[in-house]
Amino acid sequence: MIFSSIPFLYYFLPCVLLVYYLMPKAGRNGVLLLFSLLFYTWGEPRYLFVMLAATVLGYGFGLAMERFPKAKKGLLAASILSSLSSLLCFKYADFFLENLGALTGRPIALLKLSLPVGISFYTFQILSYTIDVYRGQAAAQKNLIDLACYVTFFPQLIAGPIVRYTDIARQLRCRAHNLTGIREGTRRFLMGLGKKVLLANLLGEICAAWHQTTDASVLFAWLYAVSFTLHIYFDFSGYSDMAIGLGRLFGFRFPENFQYPYISRSITEFWRRWHISLGTWFRDYVYIPLGGNRKGKPRQFLNIFIVWMLTGFWHGAAWNFLFWGLWFAVLLIIEKTFLLRHLEKSRILGRVYVLLAVIFSFVLFDASSLSEALVCIRQLLGLGGLPLSSPQAAYLLGSNALLLTAAMVGATPAPKIAAQVIARRWPRAASLLESVMLVLLLLLCTAFLVDGSYNPFLYFRF
Amino acid sequence: MEQTKNKLFLLVPLCFAALTLGCWLHSPKGESLAERRKLAQMPAFSVKALESGRFSSDFERYSQDQFPLRETFRTAKALFSTRVLGRKDNNSIYCSNGYYAQLEYPENPASADYAAEKFTQVYNRYLTEGNRVYLSVIPDKGYYLEGNPKMDYDAFVTRLRQGTPFAAYIDLFPTLTLDCYYRTDTHWRQEMLKPAAEALSHGMGKTLRETYSVQPATRDFLGVYAGQAALPMEKETLSYVTSPAIQGAQVVNRENGKGIGVYDFEALAGRDPYEFYLSGSLSLITMTNPNAETEDRLILFRDSFGSSIAPYFLECYKEVTLVDIRYLPVSRLGKVLDFENADVLFLYSTLVLNNSETIK
Repeated sequence: MIFSSIPFLYYFLPCVLLVYYLMPKAGRNGVLLLFSLLFYTWGEPRYLFVMLAATVLGYGFGLAMERFPKAKKGLLAASILSSLSSLLCFKYADFFLENLGALTGRPIALLKLSLPVGISFYTFQILSYTIDVYRGQAAAQKNLIDLACYVTFFPQLIAGPIVRYTDIARQLRCRAHNLTGIREGTRRFLMGLGKKVLLANLLGEICAAWHQTTDASVLFAWLYAVSFTLHIYFDFSGYSDMAIGLGRLFGFRFPENFQYPYISRSITEFWRRWHISLGTWFRDYVYIPLGGNRKGKPRQFLNIFIVWMLTGFWHGAAWNFLFWGLWFAVLLIIEKTFLLRHLEKSRILGRVYVLLAVIFSFVLFDASSLSEALVCIRQLLGLGGLPLSSPQAAYLLGSNALLLTAAMVGATPAPKIAAQVIARRWPRAASLLESVMLVLLLLLCTAFLVDGSYNPFLYFRF
Repeated sequence: MEQTKNKLFLLVPLCFAALTLGCWLHSPKGESLAERRKLAQMPAFSVKALESGRFSSDFERYSQDQFPLRETFRTAKALFSTRVLGRKDNNSIYCSNGYYAQLEYPENPASADYAAEKFTQVYNRYLTEGNRVYLSVIPDKGYYLEGNPKMDYDAFVTRLRQGTPFAAYIDLFPTLTLDCYYRTDTHWRQEMLKPAAEALSHGMGKTLRETYSVQPATRDFLGVYAGQAALPMEKETLSYVTSPAIQGAQVVNRENGKGIGVYDFEALAGRDPYEFYLSGSLSLITMTNPNAETEDRLILFRDSFGSSIAPYFLECYKEVTLVDIRYLPVSRLGKVLDFENADVLFLYSTLVLNNSETIK
């Protein structure tokens, strides 16, 4: 089930809200756990046991580390091994088998297991929990329901943000519920829904048209690349907004996951604004333990390579994801070596550089193979004798000019600043306007969902 | 201030609650007349269906199809897409010069090849030197509309003709204009088809001599694009032509051997009013003109466009048989048709030819 669907909006969500708020406080985590399991079962009942087993193991290792402090290093290693082996088996086994077969010239039978929904997210959450318990940054959770509620909590289960246990440990025990929280949560959820349904899905249609076309041109390649760059941002940040909003409806405060990444002036800054919860996870649990920047430049660069290779690989078991991660590693190293100080001198240069680097990176990200990515990059560079424009590209550009403009503006803080200015000058009118706009947004998103429009979700399988 | 905000905010949960209650209490409908299709019903629950994911996907379709005020929401979406976002099409239906049409772009050479292969199968299996074989292509109305990407009609027709060298090609493109088509439907207007029917007859060595009078069948016709695009559209008049040959014709639906009319007035109130012409998508129909001055027979391989033009041929053929090989496989034709000395015309629209996987 995805949030941007009628079953979620008008069947699942009303039920969970109703039961949650009717339940006395002591039973609310149980309600959330029950509905989270139902949410997961709806989409993928087969792999429910994988998630539950991972949760129980994490719970057991946490308790054991606290009870047997002398053995906690071994217990942590066992915990990491058990979490990663599940991820390795479901997500990466076929990639390694396939490449091993290609390397040895002997094809190996693949496992062909479908990927359990959200496995990358909940594995990282369990890892963060056991590592934090090991480090003494968090006390082991004694209540299995509370820990299971944290791991399986449906708002962030399938697409993050990757919520650290330390971020919400207190909230699991005690959290405030009030009308302001509900209002803010609803607003955040509807803004995310709007991003997903009214922007990301429509931009996705342009990308789908490019994938299917036989009418290639340089203009079409750029139209696709820019649309995909905007599409993935609104798709993913919209989903994060919905998750944060839903969390707020149940009294939780999740960390932010996006902060207008496309206004960055360097890739270093970009990754402080894009998928923040993943970036900080790798920083705190991989980069810093590897030595970070404390052991000299060569070691720092090696650490950057390792972290970004893993970041790429986290997104998918394919070479294009690996190269996508390494592309950023190279750029970050170049920036750290000399580029950053030059970029800081020019606002325009930095932004153009980031946008180009990111657009090319997402071409690699979206490609089904490296060769497909190269074809698209050649088209973007005008190589291969392609025409500059084509009828379909011109039509799509004309038809989507306003959408693209709205998306570009929407990817900057401009709308938020404008809303703040209005709220300062005309507070009452702004409140009324906000409520009316939210109702309209709900109705409009519903209209798009009822019409069965294009509605995939990119991060569903990560 | 915070209190005011919270009070005004109540509008949102109220709207949400109203829609939720609507979803839960709304009684399911059987079909959508606008979209001309059955609506999904509540799927039966079983553990197996849940495990396979079928229950959740069927439930999603059900929840979309049975959403309260569904048509109003679809129209709201269409208006927002086209009027606010300025998109040129909604659900691939665009409007140009007041005519609604589906984007049919680009041409699919493989589809032309597949259609040609199917026509060649008919020729090789059933036809001889004694048959005169013709091919004609009906352009979709996009050909006459400007400002939208169009398939390369010349290249497409050339490819089809190259694949069917046994058939004499009759060009219909110059005989049609934009006003030969309905504004809200894919199809052409029967009352505007005299020049096209004359061109086809002439190409087949015949001449149309009768005078045709035009009668309105309904003034409330909304074509297939009205439902698909969900945009507000004006109703049109659907008309039909009559002549002595048409009035005297005997028509048999050979799927069941029952007699039917050239025009089916009951169909005007049905899901697709264009089925008014020869009852729509029947796989095998024979029209006989008992007063014909000739014994010649025509076998017309056709799609839904053929239903409305076929009555014109009654005056120059004793018997006109309409075959739709989207529903009747080529392999079965020998059992139901007598091809001996018949004229054979393959008459298909570009909409079918460019998506010819439906031909069996």
